[in-house]
Amino acid sequence: MDFERARIEDVETRVKSAVERAKEKQEELNAVVSFVDVDSQLADLANKDPHAPLYGMPIVLKDNVNMKGVRTTASSRILDNYIPVYDAHISEKLKEAGAIVIAKSSMDELGMGGTNKNAYTGKVNNPWDTMRISGGSSGGSAVLVASGVVPFAIGTDTGDSVRKPAAYNGIIGMKPTYGRISRYGIIPYASSLDHVGYFTTAIEDAAVALEVLAGRDDRDMTSSYEPVPNYASDINSDIKGKKIAILDNVQEAITNAEIKENFDALMKKLQARGAIVEHVRFDDKLMRAMLPVYYIIANAEATANHSNLDGIRFGMREDGASVEEVMINSRTKGLCPYVRKRFVIGSYSLFEENQEKIFRKAQKVRRLIVEELKKALAGYDIVIASASGMIAPKSEDSQDEHLSKDVLVAENYMVMGNFSGYPSMSMPTGFVEGMPIGINMTAKPFAEQTLFNIGKAIEEETGLKGNDVEVDA
Amino acid sequence: MKYETVIGIEIHCELKTKTKMFSSAPVAFGEVANTCVNEVDLGHPGTLPCVNKEAVKLAIKAATALKCEIDPLVKFDRKNYYYSDLPKGFQITQQFHPIGKGGCIHIETKDGVEKDIRINRIHMEEDTAKQFHSEAGTLIDFNRAGTPLIEIVSEPDIRNGAEAAAYVEKLRTLLLYLGVSDVKMEEGSMRCDVNVSIREAGSDTFGTKTEVKNLNSISNVQKAIDAEVERQIALVSKGEKVVQATRRYDETQKTTILMRKKEGDVDYKFFPEPNIPPIRLDAAWIKDIQEHMEELPDERKARYMKENGLKEYDASVLVANRDLGDFFDAVCEHTKNFKKAANWVIVELPAALNKDNIKFANNPCEPKHLAAMINMVEAGEISGKQAKVVFEEIMKGKDPKTVVEEKGMKQMSDTSELLAMVTSVLDANPQSIEDFKNGKDRAVGFLVGQVMKASKGQANPALTNKLIQEELKKR
Repeated sequence: MDFERARIEDVETRVKSAVERAKEKQEELNAVVSFVDVDSQLADLANKDPHAPLYGMPIVLKDNVNMKGVRTTASSRILDNYIPVYDAHISEKLKEAGAIVIAKSSMDELGMGGTNKNAYTGKVNNPWDTMRISGGSSGGSAVLVASGVVPFAIGTDTGDSVRKPAAYNGIIGMKPTYGRISRYGIIPYASSLDHVGYFTTAIEDAAVALEVLAGRDDRDMTSSYEPVPNYASDINSDIKGKKIAILDNVQEAITNAEIKENFDALMKKLQARGAIVEHVRFDDKLMRAMLPVYYIIANAEATANHSNLDGIRFGMREDGASVEEVMINSRTKGLCPYVRKRFVIGSYSLFEENQEKIFRKAQKVRRLIVEELKKALAGYDIVIASASGMIAPKSEDSQDEHLSKDVLVAENYMVMGNFSGYPSMSMPTGFVEGMPIGINMTAKPFAEQTLFNIGKAIEEETGLKGNDVEVDA
Repeated sequence: MKYETVIGIEIHCELKTKTKMFSSAPVAFGEVANTCVNEVDLGHPGTLPCVNKEAVKLAIKAATALKCEIDPLVKFDRKNYYYSDLPKGFQITQQFHPIGKGGCIHIETKDGVEKDIRINRIHMEEDTAKQFHSEAGTLIDFNRAGTPLIEIVSEPDIRNGAEAAAYVEKLRTLLLYLGVSDVKMEEGSMRCDVNVSIREAGSDTFGTKTEVKNLNSISNVQKAIDAEVERQIALVSKGEKVVQATRRYDETQKTTILMRKKEGDVDYKFFPEPNIPPIRLDAAWIKDIQEHMEELPDERKARYMKENGLKEYDASVLVANRDLGDFFDAVCEHTKNFKKAANWVIVELPAALNKDNIKFANNPCEPKHLAAMINMVEAGEISGKQAKVVFEEIMKGKDPKTVVEEKGMKQMSDTSELLAMVTSVLDANPQSIEDFKNGKDRAVGFLVGQVMKASKGQANPALTNKLIQEELKKR
């Protein structure tokens, strides 16, 4: 459902029916961690400008976005009882814009994972086929948009945690430039890779959303001073002369013929619109290094970022004979084994004797990958490829620890958007076996407008604006 | 065997900023526990650090005063360890790129030994929370958590307790003068850890060191080092080994006590803080800070000696006690008799305050009043003896002119009036005149005393003396 359709109903009906739909679908999707009281927010609308961009719009926040007074768990047992004492920067922005938060959505615990099977409240199901995964880590937000519950949901993207679930669920997943949206108040995963992102079903909506979310925040030193353009009114789907580079390494690694055909057909359509479509190829070694480099950096930062979860000042506390024991017991009981394993890996790479050959080496390779992307974008407006070489896997077939040559390049390349911080967006382009598939494009820093413009052209070609399960049915 | 002691000192100073190193919560001492905190100080999920510009400015001042090379690219790192006083589970510090490197400070011990101590580095970091352990459990006050700190690390150039005390004292006054820190060791705004080892005299290798932590006064720095050196020498003399450990100084037992052994170095897994991008400092900003620095202690001492003509000892006392020095400067704005002013400020003022148990901050004496009194003595309007009485009154906040009038203290400096008095005293004491003529000089003293008595203490003694001598010669 896009904003336009949502606005047909009056605010109260719109919000109440969104809550109802979310409750109806909870058993089927398991996407919600906590429902948020909407009555006080609706009452608060009286103080808002009815022309505010998201006035009365029901939305969902991933459960790592702090909202003052609203339970925020990051899908981790250790934060099961955590009630934030402050609003995330974007919670303030969304409130100002008139949005009504109806729910906090499920995620892989503390953002760690790509399946959303690793949530304290259990796995989240794909609305197109509930036997299949939603993808993660922003799975709950993705399926609540894809199932037509809300037109807009916040996610976060550290590897591809918005863009991959967007592709699996047939919706738009936007990850703007690092620093474009403040991270203050977002429970982190890996600070140098973490981005606030979001899901919508229409390019215009994605543009409006970014106008609301973007902008400098003095509480986040990595937040940018770059002025926020009028993305929505500046959308222009005339892409004549736009230079598009297909990332050959990814397309060649994909074995699914239907996905390849869908992609190639779309490229022809863009060419027909006057875009210049060419090819780039990255150093294959760098392509294969992306996932290991990501794991090393992300786990290292995560182990430090989550050292505050010790049961002393907030969150779950497990008793012990000493303060140290309380910390050990709380962490052992409050964090799942998979997360604890990631912390061990992260710590290992930071040990003095390992740091040079693991952590620092990963940082160097990260820079090489960014250089490669920068080089490609020097000659093109965007780099494009299929967002995934497969449809959303069946739940029993997917696991986060699975690593094979088949998936190494095609399924993990989107992390280059996190390494570089460059803006990157996934969007739906069709269906295979009744499941949505999509593409991903990455542009130069702060060139979000380019993504919206080319995205608009693609949307016009695919006709998938406002795509969700309800519409498709 | 003859031993040489090798000492390096690490000093942590809380910076005198309004807000914390990485949050907007206020910095305060002695407030109700856990009232000066926000979500950042408590390490709540989702919080991010924001560097306090004022703290950077103070660190630059300290680095400049210690002649350190300043790194214009400010970077921070994470020091990872779990402890309940460390909310985030890591401390943000400057491991890899300290703001100041390679400085030096000149010290002078009480015995007059002078030397330069090299400074290895100055870096910025954040303080931890304060813990109170009791049988009922551990209480944590997070007010201190996140307070800006600088850590100043010396090279191992210090050779004994006296040098260490001089080093700490020198740093303390320096940082106080710069307004960088309150440097109150007893309140913990300046904390001192010393690394002590011994080696055979003349050797250039280092012995196993111990670290003595939590020294709460400069005299304890010296005492702790002396005790620790004695302990290490006793061990080694017996053929035993010094064990690398953290120790504390016990004042009652006058010895150091083992806190914990160090099983090799702790791995803090330092890595760059991803939430603080490197900050390029504006060269003009640094220059502006350096050009507008407060007067340093050495500069002030030189000024007192050169411009005010004070002796080195007096200058040193005024520099060592900044309150007195500032007061002296204020007095000197109203009098040119600097030496007398120094004497009153150094000796009489502290004694008077002490007697009535008044803190310097509540000193009722106004500098211009003291200056006026000094000027009155100088002009012969009151005697030195009268000045002591007047001083007691100006210590109550009174104007010396009012005191003199009220007490009718005007000194008799009128020559004709005095001469009349001298003449009558001489007339009444022929025996003294006789004694004088027989070479007994003390007769003069007696006669001056008689004049003073007759004038009820108001006669100008110098003038009286002069007149008596002249008159005696005439007779």
